[in-house]
Amino acid sequence: MFTLHSYKLSFNMNNMLTKGAIEDLTKGSNNLPNPILQLVNIRKIDGGSGPARFRLMMSDGQHSMSSFMLSAQLNPMAEDNRLAPNCICQLKRNVTNVLKDGRHVVVILDMEVVKSADEVAGKIGEPTPYVEGTMNKGPSREFGGKKAMPLSAMPSTPGGSSKVVPIASLNPYQSKWTIRARVTNKSGIRTWSNSRGDGKLFSMEIVDESGEIRVTAFTQEVDKFYSIIETGKVFYISKGSLKIANKQYSSLKNDYEMTLNGESTIIPCEDTQDVPMVQCNFISIADLEAREKDAILDVIGVCKSVADVTRLTTKNNREVSKRTLNLMDQSGKLVEVTLWGEEAENFDGSGQPILAIKGAKLSDYGGRSLSASFSSTVMVNPDIPEAYKLRGWYDQEGHSMDGQSLTEARTGGGGGGNTNWKTLTDIKTEHLGHGDKADYFSCIATIVYIRKENCLYQACPSQDCSKKVVDQQNGMFRCEKCDKEFPNFKYRLILSANIADYGDNQWVTCFQESAEAILGQNAAYLGQLKDSNEAAFEEIFQQANFHTFIFRNRVKLETYNDESRIKATVMEVKPVDHKEYSKRLIMNIRKMAATQ
Amino acid sequence: MAVFESPKPRINHSMLSQYISRAICFVGRVEKVHPTGKSFTLSDGEGKSASVELNEPLDEELSGVVEVVGVVSNKGAIMASAYNMLREDQGIPFDLELYNEALKVIHEYPQHYPFELATSG
Repeated sequence: MFTLHSYKLSFNMNNMLTKGAIEDLTKGSNNLPNPILQLVNIRKIDGGSGPARFRLMMSDGQHSMSSFMLSAQLNPMAEDNRLAPNCICQLKRNVTNVLKDGRHVVVILDMEVVKSADEVAGKIGEPTPYVEGTMNKGPSREFGGKKAMPLSAMPSTPGGSSKVVPIASLNPYQSKWTIRARVTNKSGIRTWSNSRGDGKLFSMEIVDESGEIRVTAFTQEVDKFYSIIETGKVFYISKGSLKIANKQYSSLKNDYEMTLNGESTIIPCEDTQDVPMVQCNFISIADLEAREKDAILDVIGVCKSVADVTRLTTKNNREVSKRTLNLMDQSGKLVEVTLWGEEAENFDGSGQPILAIKGAKLSDYGGRSLSASFSSTVMVNPDIPEAYKLRGWYDQEGHSMDGQSLTEARTGGGGGGNTNWKTLTDIKTEHLGHGDKADYFSCIATIVYIRKENCLYQACPSQDCSKKVVDQQNGMFRCEKCDKEFPNFKYRLILSANIADYGDNQWVTCFQESAEAILGQNAAYLGQLKDSNEAAFEEIFQQANFHTFIFRNRVKLETYNDESRIKATVMEVKPVDHKEYSKRLIMNIRKMAATQ
Repeated sequence: MAVFESPKPRINHSMLSQYISRAICFVGRVEKVHPTGKSFTLSDGEGKSASVELNEPLDEELSGVVEVVGVVSNKGAIMASAYNMLREDQGIPFDLELYNEALKVIHEYPQHYPFELATSG
């Protein structure tokens, strides 16, 4: 029974490992992110003056590979025996380095043990050592064999200062290292003068495939390095001091920050192809809902729609350009993004480009929306794997999806524009219409009364003229606007109605189109009926009562002789789209529940 | 029948077991109709199937989304008192998944949807 049981466990487990991951990782292809592997063996390597390093042999059930190095920050996992042979792990973050002799080493920067060793019966499958093209075959490549990889070939050895280590592996306990990184940001020189004397500093942000870090140089190092450093260029930097990061000054993802000292060196690097332009930790658009407002984060998505650039005047009477667009990603969710200044002016949204923003600011406007502040980095169609993945997804599936916008809670979705949904109580509580300009909003309301007296007036029969004509009492009607007299007129509607929802009611004025939509008859026919069949005319008004519509309204505070009153006009009347309305209500309920 | 005297909670398949011997309202899409016409299965907004049994066999073709009012049996089947086919040929399709979302809200916040308190006495 025991044998049967462990076979069953092993059989189920076989499907856990990510097949093909060993090949993928060794080649550095990154087609299988976050792979699940089994730890075959782990060996401690004495670190000399630095911390010990752990070398791992991992298997994906098909192949095994012994050149996995545990990043020093994960050493505790090995030291407290979480990483015991046979345990199943999921790699969260890793980088594949190529040594001078062509061999590949996978540095594990973040990993999670998904099944501890005692939960696993034994080795899964019959993995064979993965052989790379340039490698020797044979037993000497196997782990535990006499010919283990020489220490000096390890990319992260303290002694090998000519070898490059990943930024993510930097820590205060090792000083003899070299990194190869690109400068993404360089500050100006800041000087100060206090009781202790004068000083100056400059700081920069640098990035490589494994991560990013903030670097500061003081006084003498400013003189030494300031002119060498150029944003966008790649440098070999070695022997800086590391300390715990002061998160107040930087939002970069690194527990440490670096200070250049007397021993530090910075040398320009010509071979820059592997070093990324910028390090981003992209958040899925769907996850934005869970983040707090004012959070700074990175996003990437397809620009599904873009509005024209507008100019507005700020409080300081400065003119600023603004452009909104909608970003969508594989989560199927959309978010409105606002660009400012030159970026807004120069942005070309044609062809639905991929847009990535590092350091975008999350706002709770409209639920959730993003803004590219002046310290954000906006990249159009960046040359990064996430962009290609998005493009592929969009061309296949995304282009035909409507997506659900997060910028919708009080501004409804619908065609390019954002609908500003309100309820009738909001008119009073939000003082709509009290500003300099009229306010526009949409609401769902029911007609509870329509005034039939004086709903029709005699208007100029000319094509585009709706001016009320004066009855000359001689069979002719005069239009002051056209400056002409006519033997006839056309009836036009001005309807005064009262609409209501669960919270409040509101008197509104409806002109021709919306009035006809509400009454279900055209003005000419109504005029005719009013003169000939009073009963039928009244019946129409009765029938129109208690229908529910989507009203798009304009409200403005108007003052007549010391009396101020809100005047509401219906711009458009539409039948309720129950599906859209239900979706919106459910979304609002869920949002309200989440904030309780 | 008592079924028509009280408000009937709208439920989906996952809630059937909590409403045994109670009158409920179930909306689902017709899956299969038994050759005798005395029973059929409906799939709810989550794709799960419930069995519906009738007193008399059907006298018409049943298809699309149907709303059934009845009592839940011990076995989790619905003993129907009445059914109502929601005609989708009028051009307005019925969104069963959206209906299911609304159902979840109603059951999650009964304090805001006190339908059952509508019965007097």
